Amino acid sequence: MKQQSNEIDVFGGFGLGFRSAHYSDFLDAPEEERVPVDFLEVISENYMIDGGRQLRILEQARALYPVILHGVSMSIGSADGLNREYLTRLRALADRIEPLWVSDHLCWTRTSAHNSHDLLPMPLSEQALQVVCDNIDAAQEALGRAMLFENPSSYLTFPGDEMSEWEFLSEMARRTGCYLLLDVNNIYVSAQNHGFSAHDYLKGLPLDRVRQIHLAGHDPATPERDIIIDTHDREVCDDVWALYADAIAMLPGPVATMIERDDNIPPLSELLSELDRARGIARESLLEPA
Amino acid sequence: MSDTASDLAETQAAFMRAILDDGAPLPAGWGNRQAAGMAVYRGNYRSAVMDALASSFERTARYVGDDAFRQASMHHVISHPPSHWTIEAVGAGFDATCAELFGDNPEVAELAWLEWAMLEASSAADHEPLPAAEFAAASADFADDDWANLKLTFTPRSTARIVEHDLAGIWRSLDAESDNPAAPSEQGQRGVLVWREGETPTFLIIAPDNARAFMAMQNGASYGDLIGLLAGDNPDGEAIQNAAMKAGGMLGEWLNEGLVLAFET
Repeated sequence: MKQQSNEIDVFGGFGLGFRSAHYSDFLDAPEEERVPVDFLEVISENYMIDGGRQLRILEQARALYPVILHGVSMSIGSADGLNREYLTRLRALADRIEPLWVSDHLCWTRTSAHNSHDLLPMPLSEQALQVVCDNIDAAQEALGRAMLFENPSSYLTFPGDEMSEWEFLSEMARRTGCYLLLDVNNIYVSAQNHGFSAHDYLKGLPLDRVRQIHLAGHDPATPERDIIIDTHDREVCDDVWALYADAIAMLPGPVATMIERDDNIPPLSELLSELDRARGIARESLLEPA
Repeated sequence: MSDTASDLAETQAAFMRAILDDGAPLPAGWGNRQAAGMAVYRGNYRSAVMDALASSFERTARYVGDDAFRQASMHHVISHPPSHWTIEAVGAGFDATCAELFGDNPEVAELAWLEWAMLEASSAADHEPLPAAEFAAASADFADDDWANLKLTFTPRSTARIVEHDLAGIWRSLDAESDNPAAPSEQGQRGVLVWREGETPTFLIIAPDNARAFMAMQNGASYGDLIGLLAGDNPDGEAIQNAAMKAGGMLGEWLNEGLVLAFET
């Protein structure tokens, strides 16, 4: 096992994504009415810029809350390796913001020529695993810290797959010392799309490496389309809440839990209500931090 | 690249071709299940890049209407598939796409250029412009050669160009609260200067000569070069004196607007 760059301490709070529709709610409330979240998660790329208002807003948020940097464009599965300019900018942002941690996805987004701006699936092969691990080693070294990687939703599997996604993630974490961000909705979506058991998935993971959970909504299958699509644009459904309860009960200790809404952003009160439901489930498992 | 990475690179290249191009063959060995999944990835890709363009060019979209903007966006992403890690970068060159597609309405490309320049300015590096008084004090003892060799560094991502339409009027008419996008009114050459004032991107309509002067100095021309540019060919003494006065006025304007970051002689 490669020596990991850093340990990531357990942080058992409840948070939300920091979206522009809610900037004022988070930043302008008087101290006694501050939004009751334990952390905010931001999309790293939105702040990997030279300067301006957007960065100032992030610094204001950071002064009030712990912040997680969650990326969508590292492309950790790219056969072409990592983009040096990207890593340099992400390192600079992390040094500036001092996040709880930095995360991205187990996926690839680009080739040497083009960028899909979507989280594309990895072939689940030993070859792909080696590429991913080499890239994670390089990323963690460039950032000077261990990272979290999230399981993506996927809509196809490759004919030559040699292992399950949970086996891939487990081996990836073992070889690189990285941690896991478990998106419970993504497990549900992929399980439905590919016909595996979400519980087998959970049972097969090294749960002591999980530091964070994402909860989100998806677009159900229709008579015309038997694929569930991960949209992150609606409330968490009951099946995903049930899977979250199972996951929380299986985890060896507290983890950070977040409601992740990327589109059709509702009033903050609706997201806080969902976050309260997550708190209640965690409390029932006696895992909520004091 | 190792053999391992090379095999994966081929798989990923084929996957990417299938996303970017409906007509590209699916990778060998794929069946209906993979084809259905690929349709989802294609849809995700298209909506992501189209949404990014719509977000970056809100005014251009309002000006040409949803259908025309959607067609222009599709044309742009097909001819300029994204290559950068930040999705906003897909908007680079959209003004040229608009120039190609809206040839009968050249103000569309000018408006798209202005929106892009404002967006670029918004995330420029933070900076403190050179105070006019500081420059005045430093230049009080300039010799003639110092003035001739004077070069300016402008604030990051400030830019200028010549346009042919009333962009200020069109821009105002496309404010979110306005219901009536303006038809292009008075035509005629004018300059547009774009920069960030504090945290706010801003633009100013200026004389064409001023815009040309700004662009020349941004590209490395000296103050002496600028006076020569403004004086024209074979100038007499009076023309040179007038050009020097004009250049002085421009320099004062740039300093007062907070566009100058530094100077060297």
